Amino acid sequence: MIFTMAWRNIWRNKMRSIVIMLSIAIGLFAGIAVLALYKGMMDARIRTAIDAEVGHVQLHDINFKKDYEPKYFVTNGEHVLHEISKISGIKLTTSRSITNGMLATATGSAGVQINGVIAEQEYKASQLKNKIIEGKLFDNTKKNQVMIGKKLADKMKLKTGSKLVLTFTDTSGSIVSGAFRVVAIYQSVNAPLDERNVYVTMKEMNTLLTIGQSFHEIVVLLNNDEDLQEVQQQLKQKFPSYKIETWKEISPETDLLVKTTDQFSYILISIIMFALAFGIINTMLMAVLERTREIGMMIALGTTKVKIFLLVLLETILLTLAGTPVGILIGWLVSNYFNKHGLDLSGMGKEMMSSFGYSTIIYPEFPTDKFFGVILIVFITSIISCLFPAIKALRLLPVEALRR
Amino acid sequence: MKTVIDAHNISKVYNRKTIPVYAVNNVHLHLERGEFTALVGPSGSGKTTLLNLIGGLDKPDEGNIFINGVDITNLSSNELINFRLRNIGFVFQSFNLIPVLTAKENVEFIMQLQKMNKRDRGERVDKLFKEIGLEDKLNERPSKLSGGQQQRVAVARALASKPQFVLADEPTANLDSIAASNLLDIMVRLNKEENITFLFSTHDQRVIDRARRVITLVDGKIISDSANVATNTMHPTN
Ligand SMILES: Nc1ncnc2c1ncn2[C@@H]1O[C@H](COP(=O)(O)OP(=O)(O)OP(=O)(O)O)[C@@H](O)[C@H]1O
Ligand SMILES: [Mg+2]
Repeated sequence: MIFTMAWRNIWRNKMRSIVIMLSIAIGLFAGIAVLALYKGMMDARIRTAIDAEVGHVQLHDINFKKDYEPKYFVTNGEHVLHEISKISGIKLTTSRSITNGMLATATGSAGVQINGVIAEQEYKASQLKNKIIEGKLFDNTKKNQVMIGKKLADKMKLKTGSKLVLTFTDTSGSIVSGAFRVVAIYQSVNAPLDERNVYVTMKEMNTLLTIGQSFHEIVVLLNNDEDLQEVQQQLKQKFPSYKIETWKEISPETDLLVKTTDQFSYILISIIMFALAFGIINTMLMAVLERTREIGMMIALGTTKVKIFLLVLLETILLTLAGTPVGILIGWLVSNYFNKHGLDLSGMGKEMMSSFGYSTIIYPEFPTDKFFGVILIVFITSIISCLFPAIKALRLLPVEALRR
Repeated sequence: MKTVIDAHNISKVYNRKTIPVYAVNNVHLHLERGEFTALVGPSGSGKTTLLNLIGGLDKPDEGNIFINGVDITNLSSNELINFRLRNIGFVFQSFNLIPVLTAKENVEFIMQLQKMNKRDRGERVDKLFKEIGLEDKLNERPSKLSGGQQQRVAVARALASKPQFVLADEPTANLDSIAASNLLDIMVRLNKEENITFLFSTHDQRVIDRARRVITLVDGKIISDSANVATNTMHPTN
């Protein structure tokens, strides 16, 4: 009977019930939207880090990353590459010769990281080909070509065809330099990286460095992100004397960002739930106060406090149950829509987004993994918020309630 | 004769700290099974307060109230809820019924609180609605019933729990004279045929005339308590 009463009470003040139901739906939708947006942003960030920046796993000489000294190349590089290619689950590998140096033009200079790459492989490993916004690909028949980032090009006032000089030290510590011509300007979503990295062919780089066929870095890309730990373990076993790191170790800021953003999204959800709680407390309190006489009469007749409490609780739960599917549906539709069409956040400032390495177009993703958590949070919120009105109801004194 | 209500020396004081109001002042009240008693008195004389004390809705500041031998002044508020459910039937002046429940469900509600089984409930509902003459209104919501019909359902509900007695605070105050007299007919018949004990407050002389005993309160004190000669000669006490 209490259930029947709760159910019918909901329909007594339709407007109010619809308001609560909608706030629950909106609360749920907002929770899903926040998670979807963050999941979209984080997934995009991780994808960018893996697919266009560092790859899944990198292998270096143990000492190389301390100072990027050219003498610490990967010994037996070809053999290592060959061994790695035998591991299952690997999509592609590439190698790079890397050193830090200085880029100079007639008007100025800048510190850069010079990457000697195998063009065809690099195009896939860091999607360099797709990042090119101006100019042409490396041409085998031409010499001294360099690709630079848009940010650096702007800063140094360089265009395709401009000449520049790269200066660095070779394995013996002698300073070497070479004149290069800008063959292409690329732009990624990560402006700081664009400012720092320039690409030349490995052949020319190795000649200047005097390291022959060697290289400093092996980049491994996997078919599945899930295999990361597994592959790292296998590589560590096979090549114990090399430094083998996953993207989480190479780009700890990305990993940290993902984690803090997770926390941040929970804080945002808490704020949304706080607002929802206030709405529910308010409306349920109104519902209780409006029925003071009725509830007083029920207590007078011998209805236990537990039942009165249950009545208010049930009403709230029923409203939550009604609001939940609506919220989920809207959340699902909206996140799916933007997942297909993309959500353009350039209004928030393209500069800001790209300086943090984010693309301005986000593809929110329905947060399937956290979804039940959100539903649970909404339910807990609505149950907690109805406690106060419910306690108010069972505290009513029948004599006073009936005197009104 | 079995005693159902035995109140000793009960008082209820409001505003004790400022200007004390003795809503009920040192009242003795004794009621036996089968009585049909009216509580009368001017407005503010303490009728409602006295009924609330006897009904276990409120606690006296002094004195003890025994219902069927149980001192209800010593019960906790949770014990009182259960005591009321099992021993006392209530009819209030207005707004008696739970609006979202049908007439039948309102009556059944009490029996469900008493955990009566479904078959017994059904039988009792049929019997009670026959007695109040509303068999055709079983499934109507209170808002579809007239004031008089609502009060009749309230009487049926008060009886549903098979209480020791029924307390009614101005049950006819909001009814027109025909509805009031209908309600009284039902109450009188239940009293005579089923020996149901009624204690009700009223202002209405026509209602007073139908009582067999009339207790008059003024300023919280009983100033007269007499058998109603007219009624008693018409319906001698059994
Ligand atoms: N909660 C309260 N606080 C203060 N005074 C009260 C309270 N309840 C009742 N009183 C006072 O107690 C006295 C008795 O009131 P009560 O309602 O019992 O009278 P009554 O005989 O039922 O009157 P009526 O015929 O108008 O219903 C009145 O003076 C009233 O003002
Ligand atoms: Mg009164």
